[in-house]
Amino acid sequence: MAEPLSLQTIEDRLCTEIQVLFALEPGGIQPETTLQSLGMDSLRLVSLLIAVEKRFGINLMESGLKREALQSVRSLAAAIFSGQSR
Amino acid sequence: MSFSLPYSRRRRYLTGIDWSIATLDAMTRRATGIGNHSQIVLELQGRLAPDGLRQALDRLSNHFPLIFGRVARDMVNLAPYWKSPTNLLDAEPRGLKPAARGIALTITQLPADANDSALTLLQEHVNTPLAGPTEHLRFLLIHLGDECSRLGMVFDHKLFDAFGAESFLHLIHETWQGNLDAIAPRIGQTEPAHLDHWPRRFLGGRIINRFRVRLSDRQVAGLPMPLRRHPRSVRFVHDSLTPQQADRFTRLAGEECGLPILLPSAISRAVMAIRPALAAASPAGSQYLVAVSVDARAPNRKWEDLFFNHLSFLGFSLPTDSTDSPVSWTASLRDQFFDQMKQGVPAAFQDATMLTRICPQWLGARIAKLPFRGRVCSFYFTCLRDSAFDQETFLGLQVTNLIHTPRVPPPPGLGFCMTFFRGRMNLVFSYLEGVLDDVSARDVLGRLKSLLLDPDRSSLAPRAVHSGS
Repeated sequence: MAEPLSLQTIEDRLCTEIQVLFALEPGGIQPETTLQSLGMDSLRLVSLLIAVEKRFGINLMESGLKREALQSVRSLAAAIFSGQSR
Repeated sequence: MSFSLPYSRRRRYLTGIDWSIATLDAMTRRATGIGNHSQIVLELQGRLAPDGLRQALDRLSNHFPLIFGRVARDMVNLAPYWKSPTNLLDAEPRGLKPAARGIALTITQLPADANDSALTLLQEHVNTPLAGPTEHLRFLLIHLGDECSRLGMVFDHKLFDAFGAESFLHLIHETWQGNLDAIAPRIGQTEPAHLDHWPRRFLGGRIINRFRVRLSDRQVAGLPMPLRRHPRSVRFVHDSLTPQQADRFTRLAGEECGLPILLPSAISRAVMAIRPALAAASPAGSQYLVAVSVDARAPNRKWEDLFFNHLSFLGFSLPTDSTDSPVSWTASLRDQFFDQMKQGVPAAFQDATMLTRICPQWLGARIAKLPFRGRVCSFYFTCLRDSAFDQETFLGLQVTNLIHTPRVPPPPGLGFCMTFFRGRMNLVFSYLEGVLDDVSARDVLGRLKSLLLDPDRSSLAPRAVHSGS
């Protein structure tokens, strides 16, 4: 069974994942970045959740995704971190 | 390894999506005598002075001659591209006549209470053919007394998609404010020919073919096309939800989906609203097939991707014999949304359509209808969640609303357009004359609004979440 990742590691990998997924400039995504500032419409949000599932092996829908988790990169990383332990 | 000739690096080659839109244009022109273009209407408080608008349009015409371009084919690499006049001010552009008048602007005065007449004029405006292969933009300014103005911008979808058209309105405003020089360097005017990554393109083609084959195994419900040939107008009915009503539906849609997304709930309501109208058709069809256009831009590329098309498509299916509620359908649509995104359908569509660029438009139009026995879909659906025009004012006047009135391509000649402006949700139902009568169309939109305002709450108990594939 894979070691759970630290929150910091998840944040860093999530920032990279979002940067690649949305073709953004390197360093353009920080943990404090809000998802709303990325123009998170239906298409982008579903793309992001699918990318999270592929990257971290966690289906956030099944683990009970809350609206608060989608405020920022940091809050989403926290949800992924919690999802690891379920 | 790709190699491009120097001249080709200065060109704006058409992407696969651009070519698909150009093919849709050919289909629509063949069916109705008028191309695939749409209109955005700005409602303004006060009387818009035409001089400022005229000057801004002239500046933009000179800065972006591509506004008067047309589709051509590169005789070396055979890829289609957008052939622009070199410069409207310089003598004799190579090979093309410049538009004699720049961007057309017509000004009309009506009495202050002549709202219905204004709507009629705007409907006629969007149903008037563009002047030729190099006119892609046209404006109608209606003054309703001195109290308000309506500005209709008709645009050819070969030049912009809906989001790009809103961005262009914003650009007009910025030009009027003197900011064009700061923004213009960001606006993309070239695109490589993309004659590379062929394995990825063919893989995309395979994904899309399989997807279409799956969708085509059942007869698509739709209304018959009228027998009379062009010209044929597209009519519109419009209504809106207040910001409070829109917010309520958005929250409920999020609860239904288990995610703050709007699309599945909105489509389920649209199917339910149009269902009685489609039920009377023969053959009845066993599935509602909804073609949805989605904005595929990377975030914050409003200026870079202003011109041409940056969208993709999804397809959703619901059985016609289902007795479920809209809320139940939402779960199915959400699952279909996830499945298509996991399969990479939007990206595959962009890749696969690159392969179709070699195909003449008239042939592409016929091929597009083949899998579905002539019925491309039951109706089109567009939802623009984030407006590219988020200004409070336009050329000094307060903006009270921004509405899209798209001409939907036939078949099927039916479509819903859901857009947001400063919290308000605008609903427009477009229908080709002869496909549906005005009373039925108003009923459809009325049902949609009722379903959005008062969704079925009986099935809001937790449902099995999507388990992935």
